[in-house]
Amino acid sequence: MAQMPALLPKEVEIQRLKKIWLVVIAMGSTAASVEVDNFVDGSLHQTSIRDSAFTPAHWWLYSHFVALPLGWGFVAIYDRKVPVLRGPNNSMNTGLKMTVLGYLATMFTIGVNEMWHFWFVEEIFAVPNHWMFNMGVVVAFMGALAYVVRVYARLVELGAETPGENPYVAEMYKMALEGKLYSRSIP
Amino acid sequence: MTLPKGFGSGGGGAGSADVEKMIGRRVENMTGMITASFIAAWLATFGGTAAGYFVYPWAYPTPSGHYAFIVLTIVEAIGYLFCVKVMEEGTRKNSNGIVGGVLGGVTIGTIAIVMFVGH
Repeated sequence: MAQMPALLPKEVEIQRLKKIWLVVIAMGSTAASVEVDNFVDGSLHQTSIRDSAFTPAHWWLYSHFVALPLGWGFVAIYDRKVPVLRGPNNSMNTGLKMTVLGYLATMFTIGVNEMWHFWFVEEIFAVPNHWMFNMGVVVAFMGALAYVVRVYARLVELGAETPGENPYVAEMYKMALEGKLYSRSIP
Repeated sequence: MTLPKGFGSGGGGAGSADVEKMIGRRVENMTGMITASFIAAWLATFGGTAAGYFVYPWAYPTPSGHYAFIVLTIVEAIGYLFCVKVMEEGTRKNSNGIVGGVLGGVTIGTIAIVMFVGH
């Protein structure tokens, strides 16, 4: 594997990666909590078909759509202090790009969703205006996973985390460090 | 080693003063801030679920609110534990006492809330 040139002291890089890691854990807890909200929201819609944006289940759901993009936005800004995480041509990390695009799609869909429900009141999960909510979140999670693997792989490389024993996991870390987690040709 | 603008004395590499300046507050010294954030998140969770069963009791029966509160407390506690453990691994800092005390207090608080609030 090509050895990355040391652009900043190892100790500094570990501290910066760990700060990113703490934000990731906080966002992971938030995302896990919204799984609970799926049931809370579902139970609410058993009793009221189309409710307002201001019921507790929706405070929770919609505020997570604000909190996670803000968290990833913070990561995208702070990420510039860790050269190894940069994407092609010194652009934003590819995983972060996917995450930001996914959440932008989700935010756009909030407006589309309100417009749809102006005419069609029933809150059915499979209606088209909900598709992009779900696809946006999935794209965001895919990008986030690739980014998180890359951060972790770098922490392993710097000796701050234990390497994976499973050879497939070790191979994934290796490709992440080479910027080839998505494909061998697109970094 | 190439240092960012404003660091180093012109020639040579980074000194320990440069390293300290580049790190800012070290993660292993963030226990207080993270503990306060965890407690605030837990109280907000109580507030959110309580708003559900006090303001919308037809949609959120109290047992449902308490169930959500318990599950979320567990989710938040795991996140808090991971944060502190990640911060302090590889250092000589040890906040097990603080973490144990806070998680114990939150457990007792959760049980008390579930037993006495909203009935």
